[in-house]
This record gives sequence, C-alpha cells and structure tokens, in this order.
Amino acid sequence: MKTFQVLLVANAKQFFRERAALFWTFIFPIFFILIFGAVFSGEDDIKFNVGLVLEDDSPIAQNFSAALEQIPAFELNLGERGVEMQALEDGDRRAVIVVNSGFGESITLGQVTNIDVYYDPTQTSSKQVLLPIIQRVTDNFDRALAGSTPLIQLSEQTLQSHDLRAIDYLVPGILAMSLMQLGLFAVAPIVVDRENKVLKRLGATPLRRSTMIMSTVVFNLIIAMMQTALIVIIARLVFHVPVLGNWFYLIGFIIIGTLTFLAMGYMLSAFAKNQQTLMPLIMFVQFPMMFLSGIFFPTEMMPGFMRPIMDAMPLTYLADSIRQIMVDSQPLHAQLFSNPHLLNLIVLGGWFIVCLVLAVRFFKWE
Amino acid sequence: MKVIIKVDHLRKSYKDIKAVNDISFRVYEGEIFGMLGPNGAGKTTTMEIVEGIRKADAGRVAVLGIDVRKDPRHVKTHIGVQLQTTSLYPRLSVREVMALFASFYPRSASIDKLIKLVDLEDSRNKRCKNLSGGQQQRLSVALALVNNPKVLFLDEPTSGLDPQSRHNIWNLIEYVRGKGKSVFITTHYMEEAQRLCDRVAIIDYGKIIATDKPNKLIAQHFQEEAIEFELSQKLENDVLNAVSGVTNVVQENGKVTVYSSAVPVTVSALLDLAKQRGFELTNLYVRRATLEDVFLKLTGRRIRE
Repeated sequence: MKTFQVLLVANAKQFFRERAALFWTFIFPIFFILIFGAVFSGEDDIKFNVGLVLEDDSPIAQNFSAALEQIPAFELNLGERGVEMQALEDGDRRAVIVVNSGFGESITLGQVTNIDVYYDPTQTSSKQVLLPIIQRVTDNFDRALAGSTPLIQLSEQTLQSHDLRAIDYLVPGILAMSLMQLGLFAVAPIVVDRENKVLKRLGATPLRRSTMIMSTVVFNLIIAMMQTALIVIIARLVFHVPVLGNWFYLIGFIIIGTLTFLAMGYMLSAFAKNQQTLMPLIMFVQFPMMFLSGIFFPTEMMPGFMRPIMDAMPLTYLADSIRQIMVDSQPLHAQLFSNPHLLNLIVLGGWFIVCLVLAVRFFKWE
Repeated sequence: MKVIIKVDHLRKSYKDIKAVNDISFRVYEGEIFGMLGPNGAGKTTTMEIVEGIRKADAGRVAVLGIDVRKDPRHVKTHIGVQLQTTSLYPRLSVREVMALFASFYPRSASIDKLIKLVDLEDSRNKRCKNLSGGQQQRLSVALALVNNPKVLFLDEPTSGLDPQSRHNIWNLIEYVRGKGKSVFITTHYMEEAQRLCDRVAIIDYGKIIATDKPNKLIAQHFQEEAIEFELSQKLENDVLNAVSGVTNVVQENGKVTVYSSAVPVTVSALLDLAKQRGFELTNLYVRRATLEDVFLKLTGRRIRE
C-alpha cells in the first residue's frame, strides 16, 4: 500500500512537471470550448428561415402556428403561398410549411389531413434536420389533440427537447473527447519508460506489475475528474451550460469512459514498438473518433454511409451519455432500450473488454 | 568461503545464436567477481538471468540459496541491480527517485547516507535529466544499494565515463566490498577487470574460457613480457618467431605483438633484423602482459576491435 501511494505521488510529480502534458490535458479543452463558444455566441443556435403559409384560420391552425413559433431553431415567416414559394426558390427560405384550408375542420371531424412541407432536396441539412423537427411538432400536436392536453404545455415539451444551444451540445462532447485523449495518451510515458529500460530496471525490483498498472489507472482517473471539474465549471461560468442530470451518473460515465480509453491506449502501446510508432497509431485512432462521433455537430447531419462507422465508435456513446446527463439531450438510439444509457454502457463495456484482452495478450514489458 | 551465487550449465539461445552456451561459475561472499569479454559475448544475458529478469533455456541459478526460476521476487528483494543503460525518471529529483525505489522493498537503507556515499549531496534536489553522465551512473549505483543488498550486480558500470568518474565508481565498488557484500560486474575494460576484480571469468561466444585471479591468469599464460611495434612492411610470423627470445607472435592490422622472456636480447635482435632487411620499426613499446594478452592468446582476437 505504501508502494502504491509513493508510485501515485511520483506519477503526479512527473505529470505536473511536464508543461506539454498540462497543456493538452487542461488548457486545450478549455481553449476549444472558449473558441467555439465565441463563434456561436452571436446566434444562440443555427436558425432556419422557414416560411409558413396559413390558408386556414381555425383556432387549431392558429395553435399549430404558435407551436412552430416556439421552436428556437426556426425563424418563422408568415406569408402568402406565392410569395413564400418564390422565397424558397430564391434560397431565402430553407423550407415552406403550408397549412391547407380545411385543416382545422378535418381534425375536428377526426379525419386525417396533410400539412405540406416544401424544401430544397439538394440541401441535405434541410431534409435531415428540418424534417425531423417538423415531424416532431406535428406528432406532439397529434398526441396533444388525442389526449386533449392543453396546447401550450405541449409546446413547452417540444421546446425543452430542442432548446439545445450549440454550446450546450458542444461542451459534453469536448469533455468526452478530453477523456479519450487522456486515456489514449496516458500510455505514452510507459512506452517511453520501456524504451529507456526503466521498465526493465523496475523488473529487477520486487515491485509487482499489477501495482504499477493500478497506480497508473488510479492516477488517470484522478486527472479525469480534475478535467471534468474544470470543463464543467468553465462552461457554467462563461456560457451557463448546466449539469441538469445526476452527478453520480456523470461520475460513473467519466470513470467508465476513462477506463475504456485507457484500455485502448494500452492496446495501442502493445502494437507499437516505440514512441515514434505509437504517436501515429494514436492519431489514426483519435482523429476519426474526434470528427465522426458527433462531438462538434449532431450525427444526424452526417451522410448516411458514414453511420455504420459512427455507430461503431466508443466515443459516440460516451459523448451521448454525458450529453444526456449534462444538458438532457435526446438519446442517440432511444428506441433500443427503455433506459437510454444501457446501450451506451454495453458498447463502452464491449470496447473495454476487447481492448483489455488484446492489451494483456500483446503488451511487451521489454 | 560462502557461496553467494551458484550458476550451473546455463544456456540461452536467441533463434540460432547461442548467447549463453553452458556457463557455470560461483561468486563468493565479499568478493568482486568480474566477467570480462567483448560486446555480444553473453555477459549481459548471463547477468540478467541471474538477476531473474530473463529466463534461461536450461541450467540452474541460485542466489543466496534461492532458486531464481522458482522465486524471482524473493531473490530481487535481496539483490541490487544496475543495468547497462539506465536513464531514470527525468522529471524526478535524485531524492525522489531514491525514495521511490526504497518504497519497493520491505526494508531500505538510509537514503541520506547513500546520497552522501555516492557524493550527490549537492545535487539531491536536482532533476535527473540535469545530472551529468557520471552523476547518473553514481545515482544508479546508489539505487542498486537502496535495499541494502547482499550482492550487487553492475553491468558495464563505467562504460562511456571519463577517467575521473570511472575512478569514483571503482572506489565506490571497493567500499561496497569492504562492507562484506559481493559484487558481480561485467566489463570489456581490461584495466578495470585487472584493477578491481578479485576473480575474473573470461567469456567469449557464450562460453567461459578461463576463470581465476587476474594475476594468476596472466602468470599462468605468460612468463614473458609483451613488445609492441608497427612495421613498414609485412613480415611472416615465422620470421618473427625465429628472433631470439620470442615465444609467441600476434599480428593485427599492421600492429605486431611479440612475447619475449628476454626483452633486451629480443629488442636488439629486432632492430638488427630491421636494419638488415631495410624496413622501419616504429612505436616500439615494452609492457607487462595483461588480461588483454591472455584474451588474445586464448581467442586470437582483441577484446575491442
């Protein structure tokens, strides 16, 4: 136990005495958040110019219009059909929603009725972002009508699950990304120690390898907690990004995520002869995850053929859970399990076990 | 005398190369035992097997009566090890590294006393990366002593050091022996083996070719002294062997060594021969036979080529 403590302190001293490590661990993520926060601070989120043509003046149609107005992502323009369609053609509108006459009457009679949505199919974001939002509004509207829930309350629900500012979306992602980097790079010093024969020298003492590994793992978990605290505090102070969910869940996922990426780091170091070959290997794993795990923008905005790649990456799931917990976002694959975290846990756990097995099998001490 | 290290019929191969080929030896209490041989002769491999950080293919090793194969951790608690190239934690200070290593052992020596012993008092708070080569080497000897070991393993401890640092390390090793500990050292420096070691094993191609006290080894193989010189033209060994007093001749890269039991006679005969045949004889030098000569005689090669 004394050995463990002394090793832990030695780890910490070495870490905190290296400026580069401090920069990448603590300054870099904060830098990211501040830059992105500043970029998106003018407009709270991405606004879509949407035209609305009301050809029905029933109260129901009025309410529907009010519901659409509540959506922060929409810059709603009320107008005549001809004018709005022209604006769409000119590129001044991303979409035009048309509520045909007789809309209210049909609903009152319990008949199925159509709302027409016109958009430019060449703009992928229109189809992939706009349509789901409109779909959700109509769904909720439908449900509200059937359950005779007051319409205003319904709008608030809609509002809640979509009132995600870009920065709200980004911060949990940056946190997940920082944990990934921490885990992947944590093993680099061990590879250096192996190269410099320090591991061999330690092998000539009664120090157990398990003690050594445990001290590295515990040390990195502590650093992960410090990173989390720093990111959460800065994001809250500067951009008012909240932690809405359960703190214990958050800490739990921080630990699971760090362990998964530590195992991945060990696995990579098992396949790398020295530091020169380890670094490109880490980059090769890190960059696709950074950009294809929905860290910077929602995965919905990605072209479909990339979905299988994104769906395989552990960072996608870690970021998803942290995002759910922190800012109460929609789960990525909510339909699969009743608990939205369960899928994320299974995928992260799977990666952890696979990486660990490969690391134990192939890691060389000299 | 008490046997501290007992090695019998040790073997270790890397693919087709027999790095250690049936090696047996003993190291006794309170002695400095040296393994002398060229690079790649199998010294380091042998030492690392004895330390328990490398596995042998065959053979038995016991350190302090403990079987290394069966209980390497037990052995490691009682030995002190210095590896050939040790660059330690660059961002920890001398004291911090010492304290770290001390924590690996159930019992440890006084760190302050050790720092004083290896003369690093002024650098105790210096980071390892800022130490000079000699200081690093002294630190790694201090680390090898941190558990107050019964036997110290030093792999080429003075390799690449300046003469002053080398003498410091030698004094340190002799001090350690004075405390009743055994020292097992590998080296490819003749003068180191000759000056420092109580007994030397000469090793080549994974085999021990001679073991004894340095002076005994020399006396056993040479009653003669060595005369070295360079020649402006090549002469056959037979011609040089015929010179009076010469018992053996070795020629290498234009450098000639003849061994003679009657140096004045041989030197004057050599000068006559040179004058007679009209060639130059330069850099003439007479010296006592050394372990290098023993190695040369036994293997036909020099240790450092």
